Amino acid sequence: MMVEMDILSTLSMYALLLIPIGIFIWLKMGLVKETILSSIRMTVQLFLVGLYLKYVFQLNNGLVNLAWVIVMMMAANLAILGKSGLKWRLFFWRTLVGIFVSTFIVSAWFILVAIRPEPFYDARYMVPIIGMILGNCQRSNVLSLERFYSGIRNNEQEFMTYLMLGATLNEAIRPYLRTALKSCVNPAIASMATMGIVSLPGMMTGQILGGAMPMAAIKYQIGIMLGIFVAMVIAAVLNILLSLRVAFDDFQRLKPEIFQ
Amino acid sequence: MIHLEKISLNIHGQTLLTRTNLAIAPSDKVVICGASGTGKSSLLKFIIGMLPWSEGSIRVNGLELSQHTVATIRNQIAFIGQEPTLGAERVKEALLLPFAFKAHQQVQPTDELIFQTLERLHLDPAILDKPSKRISGGEKQRIAIARALLLNKSIFFADEVTSALDQESKAAVIAALFRSKITLLSVSHDPDWIKACSRIVEIKNHKLVEATP
Repeated sequence: MMVEMDILSTLSMYALLLIPIGIFIWLKMGLVKETILSSIRMTVQLFLVGLYLKYVFQLNNGLVNLAWVIVMMMAANLAILGKSGLKWRLFFWRTLVGIFVSTFIVSAWFILVAIRPEPFYDARYMVPIIGMILGNCQRSNVLSLERFYSGIRNNEQEFMTYLMLGATLNEAIRPYLRTALKSCVNPAIASMATMGIVSLPGMMTGQILGGAMPMAAIKYQIGIMLGIFVAMVIAAVLNILLSLRVAFDDFQRLKPEIFQ
Repeated sequence: MIHLEKISLNIHGQTLLTRTNLAIAPSDKVVICGASGTGKSSLLKFIIGMLPWSEGSIRVNGLELSQHTVATIRNQIAFIGQEPTLGAERVKEALLLPFAFKAHQQVQPTDELIFQTLERLHLDPAILDKPSKRISGGEKQRIAIARALLLNKSIFFADEVTSALDQESKAAVIAALFRSKITLLSVSHDPDWIKACSRIVEIKNHKLVEATP
């Protein structure tokens, strides 16, 4: 069984923070306030989530689990749009569909085909698996959306050249779609290639700490890594394709008002 | 061929043109002159729907510019800017880029036609193997013109195209564009270019005014 960490031992980890804070002060980096605030925020958020998840796991009700997943998706979607530099009001529903479809396809496959828990909506599987997929999609989607639209804005003349040479909107956006997708999948490909050698992944570590045998934990880790990669690609492409209609006007011009 | 009727153009709250007209017939070679900032280059961009106009109608070959016709109109016009973008890593890919799009996939140019077109613009065929970033501004302009000629476009918009060219290249560009089947609408300060044009239009007090060549 896992050795439980009491509150004091958790808080003792804060002592280690003195090292980076000391470095920031020495280098006059001005990150001290942000570091302390972010650590406190993380602590409060995780405690609240811990409390909430305790009840979600106890109840283990399909509808409650679904509601939690929807809240996670909304939060991920808002975070993606907020960090991508785009106006969230214009894109919210379209990117939400992208996130929902990609997460749904991959999570459903992972839970219903690969793991097959009883009941299938068991919170112990549904919440962490969807959470991990969403968390990773979030990071890659911020990158892909930002790269895509800033790529067209910064290369407007090139983009118009494609249109003038007879390209349809879908043909003209292709080079920027490729660049955006590369920016989001390249780190994931590199991370898969070094997994287990350079880093021991979080899910596997968590399972081993929780008492699982390493081989059992590895199988889950392989599943989640592949799932994250697939969801990331689907979400990035869908988010971009679904957002085209709000981002371009009837003359295939990129609307300047889409940027924050 | 190109008709602007009572058009008004504004950019960032600044008025460029107010309810003015312009008619360009097939084979016309028109150059637009005027002080800088009067909207000469912008006028070309308005006609191809790159910038939104506020009033009036723009017609090209009988088609009124709208969301439904903009793609067809863009397809009929070659736009050569001061620093054209080739849009591909190698010159050959750039030259053949439009033929990868659905609109032109059926009409691939032959090698013979490509070499003839390059020769007409005083370009060495060896340029095809060079990276697009490594060629000069003048060569870029001529590659952009060659691409438009391969597409058999008959309307050319040229924005200060001779500004980066030496005398020999300039003569080649003028010879390639000032042909009877080409309709040309251009912006230029180059005396040789202006002299070669059949009509000079000036922007004065937000109006397009015919000037004496």
